[in-house]
Amino acid sequence: MPVRSVLVCIWMLLALAGAATASARETVSPELLADVFPGAARLGPIEGNPPAATAYDAARAIGFLFFSHDVIGSIGFSGKPVDIAIGLRLDGTIAGARLIEHHEPILILGIGDPVLHRFVAAHRGIDIRAPVTVSRAAARDGVPDAVSGATVSSLLMREAILRASRAIARSRGIVVPAGAQSVVDRDRFERREWPALRAEGAVAQMRLIGSDVLQRLEQGAGGPVSVTAPRDSLFIDLYAALATPAMIGRNLLGDRIYADLVSPLGDADHAVLLAANGLYSFKGTGFARSGTFDRVQIVQADRTLRLQASGHRRIESLAPGMPSFREIGLFVLPAASGFDAAAPWRVELLVEGQRDDGRPQYANFAFEYRLPPGLLRRAAAVPDAIDPSALWQQVWRDRAVRIAILTAALVLLTVLLFMQDRLAHHSRLFRRLRFGFLVFTLVWLGWYAAAQVSVVNILTFTQALLTGFRWDFFLLDPLVFLLWTFVAVALLFWGRGVFCGWLCPFGALQELLHRLGRALKIRTFRPSFVLHERLAAVKYAVFLLVFALSLNLTDLALATVEVEPFKTAVARRFDRPWPFVFYALALLAVGLVVERAFCRYLCPLGAALAIPARLRLFEWLKRKKQCGAECQVCASRCPVQAIHPDGHINPNECIHCFNCQMLYYDATTCPPLKARRERREARSAALAQRQGALQGP
Amino acid sequence: MSFAPQIARRRALAILGAAAGFPMWPAETGAVPTWDWNGDALGAAAHIRLCHPRADAAEAAAATCVSELRRLEAVFSLYRSDSELCRLNRQGILRSPSQDMVLLMDAAQRWGERTAGAFDATVQPLWQLYAGHFRRRPDDHAGPSPADLDRVRALVDYRAVDVSKSAIRFVRPGMAITLNGIAQGYITDRIVQILRNAGMDSALVSTGEIAAFGRRGDGGPWRIALDHGFGAIGQRQLRNEAVATSSGAATRFDAGGRFHHLISPRDGRPASAVAAVSVAAPGACDADALSTALFVTPPERMDTLLRAHPTASAVVRLADGRTVSLPSDQGDSR
Repeated sequence: MPVRSVLVCIWMLLALAGAATASARETVSPELLADVFPGAARLGPIEGNPPAATAYDAARAIGFLFFSHDVIGSIGFSGKPVDIAIGLRLDGTIAGARLIEHHEPILILGIGDPVLHRFVAAHRGIDIRAPVTVSRAAARDGVPDAVSGATVSSLLMREAILRASRAIARSRGIVVPAGAQSVVDRDRFERREWPALRAEGAVAQMRLIGSDVLQRLEQGAGGPVSVTAPRDSLFIDLYAALATPAMIGRNLLGDRIYADLVSPLGDADHAVLLAANGLYSFKGTGFARSGTFDRVQIVQADRTLRLQASGHRRIESLAPGMPSFREIGLFVLPAASGFDAAAPWRVELLVEGQRDDGRPQYANFAFEYRLPPGLLRRAAAVPDAIDPSALWQQVWRDRAVRIAILTAALVLLTVLLFMQDRLAHHSRLFRRLRFGFLVFTLVWLGWYAAAQVSVVNILTFTQALLTGFRWDFFLLDPLVFLLWTFVAVALLFWGRGVFCGWLCPFGALQELLHRLGRALKIRTFRPSFVLHERLAAVKYAVFLLVFALSLNLTDLALATVEVEPFKTAVARRFDRPWPFVFYALALLAVGLVVERAFCRYLCPLGAALAIPARLRLFEWLKRKKQCGAECQVCASRCPVQAIHPDGHINPNECIHCFNCQMLYYDATTCPPLKARRERREARSAALAQRQGALQGP
Repeated sequence: MSFAPQIARRRALAILGAAAGFPMWPAETGAVPTWDWNGDALGAAAHIRLCHPRADAAEAAAATCVSELRRLEAVFSLYRSDSELCRLNRQGILRSPSQDMVLLMDAAQRWGERTAGAFDATVQPLWQLYAGHFRRRPDDHAGPSPADLDRVRALVDYRAVDVSKSAIRFVRPGMAITLNGIAQGYITDRIVQILRNAGMDSALVSTGEIAAFGRRGDGGPWRIALDHGFGAIGQRQLRNEAVATSSGAATRFDAGGRFHHLISPRDGRPASAVAAVSVAAPGACDADALSTALFVTPPERMDTLLRAHPTASAVVRLADGRTVSLPSDQGDSR
């Protein structure tokens, strides 16, 4: 690949990394983690929507850590962001909270900064799933709780903590324990006449006479209001029903319309039927322009559901035998609206009159709908706490796109590895493929998806084996799980090189930077083979140290893991305290001079993978009998000096870059091939000469 | 008009739901049990007191109220970036507003007309100007410069907001609205309605403003105390009515204490003639808007303003320390 395009690509990479860093969240320091989530040993990346990081103890997920401004965009009294770091345990209690950022004018609050910080921290232990409770008013009731000195902005912070926690709890499946979780029985069907449906409450009604409406409007206006309907006329006689249960919808709509309009809805979608007589139209005309009905809305608990024109189905008449209505509409409430058909809801009707000054006067009326209890079934018991199996399935569904991309990349890599012999003939193509793959590994896998396999994975795996292994714990991170599975199989086939040379984002970063360095004519240094062999042993010592310390996961073990710069350079995109950044940059600087110095001499993960590499079942890399004996070209060109002077390839060091394999077929470089070709050419030249001599004059 | 402060303003009313310590009505053996819910609404402490024989019924009713509070916060809160109000302030237009937004914006506009602009929901840019100024320079005794005040005051005009059920729209770019001078009242009225619909016979609701219906569990009327930030100035009974208080005492921008949050939309300066106002009216929304408007109305015009609303009465504490009851022919506030 031409030097210039390499340069362009790498500068684009660096620009990308910079942009990514700018948007990256502030680092969660160990100190903050300990404060906001006592008992957590480590933290996954902040990800998902709303964004949160999973907190782990030694072996498993124990909750989530998140920032209120990320989750709910919390704003303070000042109109500026308020940001609170919150830890939420899987049982719905707050593990801790800390005020990170605020811009509240302290004079308005009348309280000092330390008080605010204490107030926020005091939320530890609160159970966000606790239902609304009332307490018996005390004997000395009437003690003025409202002037207890609680100031407003601190309550805004309380709201931010609770609302962000509830949002995370909802999105991560920390369900509110429901005593009697019910689902709607959609299928049961018997013929029912209108009076029976009304009597059961399957159809709810609100009847307004002109004078009812006028009175309310005039009360609001504080003066006379005119409406289109005379005082004693029927303003509206409005009926509402949940149309999805066959017992209601099929009876009301008739078999055909029910089959056409209601049956095709998804399991979690519902439809509400509204029908009315009277002078006032509940649909109005505004929806044709705005796409939203402006006279009716459905309210359920803390949700206001607007009825959309796109979910509206016009219906001319109900089933034979049902009353006739001037206006009928079926409104689909998709699952995404959050509508819970089993819970009560109400219809709110906006009415409009005209004041003296010609301006509109509004009022609204509401009536409630409760599904007849006979149409509710007890749902399967909802587990009280989080169900890990459900959680990992959820995670896999949420990350389907990433999983697909990674799978495609792994398939491509597998094909490359199996076709290595063929591809080695086409070194230009192969080098381009490899360059592209490294860019992908660094940018997408590393910086974007933060799927950097780390020695920590080995430590936690060992811990899990010792303390009780659970698949779901490892399945919670799909990309790392897939990578590990692939690497484990690849170890048996090819050795550690498949990971180190192809799938390690930090490895890719070092290799790309080294290429850049060469293009910029930075002088490189190649240790002597003897020195190289001595240094290569260091990484095994590092690994054994980290591993031994990890057997009882101490802070020290977690600190030694920092010998890996992966977290700094990949997962956090250099957005960490400066000593870490300095260390990572120093390693990269050394890597400019000594190719992949970190991989070869320090990386504990590389060491851990090298140990079982001895188990591999196949020998793929081709050698000639002259290799080592009379020729050192491959050895001298091997980027990681994995080729022993005696010619054999050390699988503990090889990164499967296939340099030597391309040389193997390169008749212009490989001395034995060159020699053979020269011999052949000499022979054919001699032959030609002889032939020429024979045909000569 | 009013600002964020209604939230910010310290709850100026102390509830004395029962005569603490010295019952004015002898305790009846058949007294209805009384239940308290304590929590928060629009970022301020909230309290609901219910009389009902059964705890579970009271709890269910309280849960419905909490849902409604959360629903309305999602519409009116200045502190939720995704609320309808914040979307309107950001974009200058809110298409397909919820019915609650239409009803409350319409009420706010009408109170603007009725009080000739003393109540004006569009004062938010002035509040932002003061908050920003004193955040940077808490010791500045002069306040924002006249030029800044003139520039921002040009954005304050409730007549430059179009309200219809299909959209709410600012006519001038840069305008912003706060409903903190009226939304607490609207929410309090809604909660009262929810409780009545849930079959409650009596309750005292304190969700930003105070409203009560029915009687206390011991059969007596609900009683509240007014606290204008200078200690309780009196008690009053509450019979199917609501009380709202605006006070400049608790919320000040500057270290000198001269700039508080109740800014007059007319001259863009904190109103100086009044220390606190309490208004009683049949509805909390109306009481809320009126107390906000009275606060920035010159004392000599207050009586006229109040007489235009015969169902309302007010207690005003003037800056010079005098307390005045309005309308003026009325005696002391009971």
